[in-house]
Amino acid sequence: MDCKKALQMIQNEIDGRLLPSEAAEIRRHVESCGSCATEAAAYRWVGEMLRLWTASRAGEKAPELDALWTRVRAGIDERKQPKESASWVRRWLWLPAGAALAVLVLLFYPSDVSRAPFHPSSFEVAVEDLESDTATVALVDKGNDLPRVIWIIENDKT
Amino acid sequence: MKEKEKPGAPDEALIRAALGGDEEAFRELMERYKNRAYHVALGITGDPDDALDVVQEAFVKAYYNLKEFRFGANFYTWFYRLLVNQAIDRWRKSSRSRMVPLDEKWLSEEVSPPESVMYPRTPENLAQNRQLSDALTRAIADLPEYHRAVILLREVDGMAYEEIAKVLHCSVGTVMSRLHYARAKLKEALKEFREG
Repeated sequence: MDCKKALQMIQNEIDGRLLPSEAAEIRRHVESCGSCATEAAAYRWVGEMLRLWTASRAGEKAPELDALWTRVRAGIDERKQPKESASWVRRWLWLPAGAALAVLVLLFYPSDVSRAPFHPSSFEVAVEDLESDTATVALVDKGNDLPRVIWIIENDKT
Repeated sequence: MKEKEKPGAPDEALIRAALGGDEEAFRELMERYKNRAYHVALGITGDPDDALDVVQEAFVKAYYNLKEFRFGANFYTWFYRLLVNQAIDRWRKSSRSRMVPLDEKWLSEEVSPPESVMYPRTPENLAQNRQLSDALTRAIADLPEYHRAVILLREVDGMAYEEIAKVLHCSVGTVMSRLHYARAKLKEALKEFREG
């Protein structure tokens, strides 16, 4: 094996990616070639320094890593909060909507308050809406305190 | 899942328990991988505080995305994908321009570090050799971010090429070329320290 080929394969040998026969061939070459041996040692040294570097710097945050769950737990809760507040908003959204509806009812409700009290025997059913295109008919009881739709007939279906 | 079963339980059993609302099972998963994750995050971001934030955020993301985990795959490969992306994002946002301060103590001719510090064999020796430690920090930071991720996953975490390819969504060939490039760059950048 020549040095050019050996240099191409040294890193694969370090990473254990060669067939046993190829790895043995590389090792034989490295043992007999000073410059390739230096290259191989340099690559291994780089890996060793990287491991030492991360290990030495990891120690700086050892207490924080020991208590990591507290931080992760807080992060989980923090993300839950917007969802919970969103559901709170949804839960109470009906309040302004209900208030708006109440205002509309008050605005459009007929002001005739002298009407007789409602009794089931005195239905005053009126055809409130008639749409010829869709044949939709709404029967509205106006004899009560509040007008209410009591029947809808649409294309002969109720 | 019972408390005493968690330490030895396979990842998948913990994931199933966590999906069922067992937070302690998720905590056990986190305890299992937090140190490895921190080493990789530290290598990519180059800053301990950033690394800690990245690890925290990656675990929080993992917690909320756990339902997307495909059983049969490796948890740590899946998790590392979140972690590496998070770390690279953090690097892009905050650390790109951060300069590593030089320790000038050993730049003077009169003071030489002891042999064990000159040629470190332990993390403590390396921590004492600020020149080499800083040079490493700079050399790692000078690598393109995905090259940095590849060499850290390989050298620090010991991942196989195939696993790295899954984490980084690239081919094994790309992993190999990035790794060889990164090693060669670091070798060159740290030449003076190796040769003494």
